[in-house]
Amino acid sequence: MVHLPKIDLKELAKEVRQNRKQRLEFVRQYVEWLKKTPNKVWVKGQKKVLGE
Amino acid sequence: MEFSFKGKNIVFNKPLTNLDKFVLKFTSILERLGIRYVIISGYVPILFGRSRDTEDVDLFIEQLSAQKFSGFWEAAKNEDFRCINAYSAKQAKEDFLEYGLAIRFALHDRFIPNFEVKYPKTRLSEYSLDNRIKVIIGEHYLYTSKLELQIAFKLYLGTDKDIEDAVHLWDLFKDNLDKQTVKDFAEDLGVTHKLGKLKW
Repeated sequence: MVHLPKIDLKELAKEVRQNRKQRLEFVRQYVEWLKKTPNKVWVKGQKKVLGE
Repeated sequence: MEFSFKGKNIVFNKPLTNLDKFVLKFTSILERLGIRYVIISGYVPILFGRSRDTEDVDLFIEQLSAQKFSGFWEAAKNEDFRCINAYSAKQAKEDFLEYGLAIRFALHDRFIPNFEVKYPKTRLSEYSLDNRIKVIIGEHYLYTSKLELQIAFKLYLGTDKDIEDAVHLWDLFKDNLDKQTVKDFAEDLGVTHKLGKLKW
């Protein structure tokens, strides 16, 4: 028999909220980096994400 | 990132990714046939550097006569595209587009990425087509929806990915965009409470 942990939904919701906030912060940091980075350079990184 | 706004155009010289080339291959068919289109949604932030992939590229095309649509269907076929959810031009036009449903085109041996093509059936989608902006990428160009609308609409869609797309576009272009227009669109879409996500 598998014993599942008791899920604390409030705790989980807090974690999801924090995760969202952190992801948005990352997007903002990334845009700041994009702004000061030449097109030739940032495209190289994007191509890796796109699997090219 | 180097780009400049010139009237309704954005001049944006950057090396093309395979996704950009795929999009330009399809939009060049529309251009050649004189079919007005506008690219909306996920590809727009990706074009401008967003670090994520996508399975489809959404676009609206103007309503076409049967003859013109058939010409487009054949031209797409000649360029190696096939429609993956309709088997004939007649079916695609009459049973999908005219009912507000999308048809999808992919390269002949693939399913993704694909183009999700629709007729504009709402006032907002018509606005998007009528007020498109031209993005000039070296010797190529394509048309996307107005960025202010794109940002507000992403807030409206509201998934984590969409909010991140909105933040990306806003943070990147906020010095070049009309804040009031974003606000107005957000108000019309009932998402003014989400504007705070943009931290303006």
